[in-house]
Amino acid sequence: MDLLPSAEQQQIIDTIKDFLVNEASVDRLREFSAIGNPDFELWPQLGELGFLGLGLPEDKGGVGLSAGEEMLVFQQFGYHLLSPAIFGIVLGARIAASAGEVELRDELLSGTMRVGLANSRGLAGGPRDYHLFEADEADVILLIEESNAALYPRDAFEQIARVNATDAVLVLERATLSNAARPRAEVPVKVDNVHARALMLMGAYAVGIGEGARDLAIEYAKVREQFGKPIGFFQAIKHMCADMAIRSEAALCQASFASLVIDEGSPDTNFHAVASKIVACETAIKNAADCVQVHGAFGFTAEANVHHYLKRAHVADLIWGSLREQRERILTFPTPA
Amino acid sequence: MDLKFSVEDQQFREEARDWLNANVFKERRPHGGEAMRQYDLAWQRCQYEGGWAGVSWPKEYGGMGLGLTRQLIWYEEYARANAPDNHLCFVGLNHGGPTIIAHGSEQQKKEHLRPILAGDKIWCQGFSEPNAGSDLAALKTRAVIEGDELVVTGSKIWTSHGHLSDMQELLVRTDPDAPKHKGISWVIFDMKTPGLELRPIEIMTAPNHTHFVQCFYDEARVPLKNVVGKVNDGWSVAMSTLGFERGTAQIKDQIRYAFLVEEMIERARERYGDAFVKNDEFGARLAQLRADMAAARAMTYMVVSRAQHNVSPAMASLMRAMVGEVQQRVRRLAFDIIGADGLENPEDDDWVYFYLRTYSTTIAAGTSQIQRNIIGERVLGLPRSR
Ligand SMILES: Cc1cc2nc3c(=O)[nH]c(=O)nc-3n(C[C@H](O)[C@H](O)[C@H](O)COP(=O)(O)OP(=O)(O)OC[C@H]3O[C@@H](n4cnc5c(N)ncnc54)[C@H](O)[C@@H]3O)c2cc1C
Repeated sequence: MDLLPSAEQQQIIDTIKDFLVNEASVDRLREFSAIGNPDFELWPQLGELGFLGLGLPEDKGGVGLSAGEEMLVFQQFGYHLLSPAIFGIVLGARIAASAGEVELRDELLSGTMRVGLANSRGLAGGPRDYHLFEADEADVILLIEESNAALYPRDAFEQIARVNATDAVLVLERATLSNAARPRAEVPVKVDNVHARALMLMGAYAVGIGEGARDLAIEYAKVREQFGKPIGFFQAIKHMCADMAIRSEAALCQASFASLVIDEGSPDTNFHAVASKIVACETAIKNAADCVQVHGAFGFTAEANVHHYLKRAHVADLIWGSLREQRERILTFPTPA
Repeated sequence: MDLKFSVEDQQFREEARDWLNANVFKERRPHGGEAMRQYDLAWQRCQYEGGWAGVSWPKEYGGMGLGLTRQLIWYEEYARANAPDNHLCFVGLNHGGPTIIAHGSEQQKKEHLRPILAGDKIWCQGFSEPNAGSDLAALKTRAVIEGDELVVTGSKIWTSHGHLSDMQELLVRTDPDAPKHKGISWVIFDMKTPGLELRPIEIMTAPNHTHFVQCFYDEARVPLKNVVGKVNDGWSVAMSTLGFERGTAQIKDQIRYAFLVEEMIERARERYGDAFVKNDEFGARLAQLRADMAAARAMTYMVVSRAQHNVSPAMASLMRAMVGEVQQRVRRLAFDIIGADGLENPEDDDWVYFYLRTYSTTIAAGTSQIQRNIIGERVLGLPRSR
């Protein structure tokens, strides 16, 4: 038993970190424009580096590593607030692979396809009403629900209407899944634990968001001075930073645990995936909120990067069921081993 | 990253489980007094005679000489078997003993280690003073060297189970003129020494519950050879002791609490039906605790993993801070679940007792605020407040 990354895993982390620091610093979201993001340009490079099929078996076109490596990489994706379209590609490739759609799978793995995410609007809409993320130019749209996981063409959706996104660097639309919709690939979620894997990876992504907010706050607390001292000297601020670190540690440990459990095929896979999403989303939202407070008025502006973390934390929470829904679910599982 | 335990580890787990299932004391642990002392010593003796005491203690001192992973496995099985917590043996097993192993002379090791493991002696911790709590280094209890003796005068407070203990790990000031961290010594103190008087202190759980005592030393004489480490070097010796407490000693508690949350869910379901568990208020709290307990367990695994890689021990305060507060939330929810029954505090039911008891989990062994200072300064590198 060892919850720390191995030397090989650390190498993977370092590689993806390097790549993202150079190609996707969070500043890009400010510089690109007020709306939208340039992340789709990264997909082919990520494909070439093998990051899109990291956890897929080699005979399915992937790199053949485990859910653990995927978790570690999605943590970094979250840290850099990479577009959630990345979930569409990575999970989409897995679905295409499981459905035997080899061509679609390989196109996804190459990073040349645009993939959006469809997410139920829950009680805010009807049973076939969805939000589409990053789907305006999408070739396929990922839809994962508790029974099935599928890739739909964009024209499977009707009444598509662009709305202003709270997380304004994402393209958001409302849409209704048409009755005649036919997926390009579809599998029951039990295959490959797609649903649990999606929740686990969203947990990892949220861990990254929370850590990003934590580090931004700590950095600021060391340089911003008031009353002749760095504000991190004051316990009110120091303890807020400590709280962020405690939450992040809990979220990271649980994400690691959940990823390992998936690989073992344990009966507790769903439990730990849900627990991971709960702890990580709670962490991401709280850390981002504290990060605003640590920055004072600057944190309230669009000139600081702080607000991106807060808004993305809420996106991570609402995709595939928010805290409220996950809390309901976690009580339905038997006692974990 | 790897969740698998080796074949040898698994074998160890099975042996531990078998032994525990056959030997765990079934009688309830008395809440206090001599009966509790006898109970805890007997259970410790039973583990020792079974060959299961001191999993991570060196073999030469009667332990099993195994690593932290085995310690984790042992604690997991211990909690699963619902083995009683022999709290009275805690200080000896987790502070006093390990400190003597790390800093003691051969003579001290020979004399003191085996009685701790074998369930012959109870140790207590005499660190805090009326005016030295979080600021432990402000301690003033004096020890003057006279020939081959130390003469101790002063007072310690909050000494858990001091009235039931045989020995005490005692911090005294041996050089009042040195800077405050420099003039302290770590001493083995026999609780039968003339000149020691104890004042029991009742705790908030119920009338007549005594948990700790105040100790008054009036020229109590201790052999100089009872100093562990060097005279005036007690601060660094003491810090290593606190390290043990903040590191692995919590594993068992944390696992127990995870079981408790499950028990609470069951108890609430039985008592009030499924709808109650799904009630927005209780459901959300139970659900969040279920998730948090899973995370706390993962954090425990991380502490063990980090220790194996020798990563900064200060990181363990991340887990400690989280776990102390989660324990409080668990017990508070248990209290809320029983509703008006919480107004009654019967001797034969633990839920109210333990609810009140958890108010100490964010105070004892370093308050939550002190933990956050440590995290802020030693883990995150924020400027020091002092
Ligand atoms: C159940 C229990 C058992 C115990 N057993 C033992 C034992 O066996 N042996 C022993 O030696 N001691 C024992 N203690 C004492 C324990 O170690 C102290 O209570 C603890 O170190 C805090 O000290 P204090 O109680 O004097 O609180 P204080 O230090 O007076 O603190 C009071 C409040 O001020 C805050 N505070 C203090 N300094 C700071 C700071 N720098 N920054 C921010 N906030 C601060 C604290 O967090 C706390 O909220 C026990 C305590 C309890 C509750």
